[in-house]
Amino acid sequence: MNDREAELISRCRQGDQDALKEIFDQYHKKVYRIAYGVVRHREDALDVVQEVFIKLFRSIKNFKGKSAFYTYLYRLAMNTAIDHSRKKKKTAFLSLDQEGGFQPSDGYEKRPDHIAAQKELEGKVRWAIDQLPQDQKATLIYREIEELSYQEIAGAMGCSVGTVMSRLHYGRKKLQDLLKDMVKGREGE
Amino acid sequence: MKKRTPLLILVLTLFFAFPPMAPAQVQTRLRVIEASNVGGVIDPSLKDLHGQLGSLFRYTSYRLLRDERLNLSSNQPASVPIHEGRSIEITQVGLQANRVELRVRIRRDGADLLNTQVRLSPGRTVLIGGPKHGEGVVILALSANF
Amino acid sequence: MKDSCSSISQLLERYFDRQATDEERSLVERHLPVCQTCHKRLRALEGLRKAIKTPVDEALKEETFPWVWEKIEREIRLGKKPSWQESVRSWLDLSPISRKKVWIPAVVTGIILILVASPLLFFKKPPSYLERSVVEYVESGVYNVMVYESEKAKVTVIWLFEGPQNESPAS
Repeated sequence: MNDREAELISRCRQGDQDALKEIFDQYHKKVYRIAYGVVRHREDALDVVQEVFIKLFRSIKNFKGKSAFYTYLYRLAMNTAIDHSRKKKKTAFLSLDQEGGFQPSDGYEKRPDHIAAQKELEGKVRWAIDQLPQDQKATLIYREIEELSYQEIAGAMGCSVGTVMSRLHYGRKKLQDLLKDMVKGREGE
Repeated sequence: MKKRTPLLILVLTLFFAFPPMAPAQVQTRLRVIEASNVGGVIDPSLKDLHGQLGSLFRYTSYRLLRDERLNLSSNQPASVPIHEGRSIEITQVGLQANRVELRVRIRRDGADLLNTQVRLSPGRTVLIGGPKHGEGVVILALSANF
Repeated sequence: MKDSCSSISQLLERYFDRQATDEERSLVERHLPVCQTCHKRLRALEGLRKAIKTPVDEALKEETFPWVWEKIEREIRLGKKPSWQESVRSWLDLSPISRKKVWIPAVVTGIILILVASPLLFFKKPPSYLERSVVEYVESGVYNVMVYESEKAKVTVIWLFEGPQNESPAS
């Protein structure tokens, strides 16, 4: 942890919201990536981001500095996103009339059935990720989305590199079985 | 007798001004459509929906599987089998001059796959679609006659 | 290290994750052009990563995070409840408002604004049924649902997405 980060954390502990804003500016996109990787839904991902930084501010005193700050934040983001994704299946409402919304003269990309097909694909990936045990899910998200090294993932999850590799291997195997049709299609690309 | 006559006239006036209402009914049309990209035929009986279907979806073929006209009385569900062991149950839960509220449930083996409540007005169509059917998907088209 | 398919396939994921040593990497890169099986496995790993990662990248590209920080700030502020005296004091900020030059014109302006705004506030026509959504509620324990509405085309679409598994309705 560098000095700047240590200073921000110390100020956060004293209730300095400007310090939290700096941390937010630096990390909110990374937190969003983790959140979206789990929940696969824009509004839910934004809710998770909001929740993570509120929790961070309220629990920063629990961070002892034994690990890197980002691993503490990533763990918080992952746990919050996983908790959020346990909620019921979502319904999305869209207007066909609003500015930027679908119009009959629009191209294929904006037509409801194409958007529906895209969302269905998203839904399948989300469903498949949801089938994984929590540890495999988190390991895959850290690796595939945040591209953390095995060492960094081990630090974030409090396990060995060997365990990280094992979770990745079995997680990928299970996802490939669940998403057979989708992954097969991409093999030819 | 003389004293009762005005009262009798009043009662009769009220009776004929506000006659007892027959249970309110609304005729709802349900069409079950198979939409696919096999062939390029649009069922002639879907002429009135052609414009809407064509602008919303890129399917090339629309085949009418069922066409039901249901006279729905308040809170009396009507059930219609649709496809693959599923049925649709429609109940009129509210009726005004230019608006009807329908509860729509898609059911299978006695359990709900979908439960929704929609408000139909003159000219309004509700399309419920997406589940796979044959080479395409099934779309249910609901509208009401006022 | 033996350059056989079984030993290479154990290294494949490390190679794919760019966590292999230099020696391991060159072993894999020598093996791949001559082994369809390992080549296919690598493609499958790439396909899987693309399926997981691409939607996230695209979502982030378009995301502007509207009002997220403001909501966080507000939530934190609401979490700390000041005493009623502090609230009144901070709202009034007594020193300037205690002067007649300030509060008499302020009160008069307020009254005028209320008189002008009240017909709009209290006699506002309730939205006609056409302005409200056609769909009152929609529930499904089986499908993901999207609702599209168009007042212009007078059509509402309720689109259902099936899960990859067979339907198991939640009764």
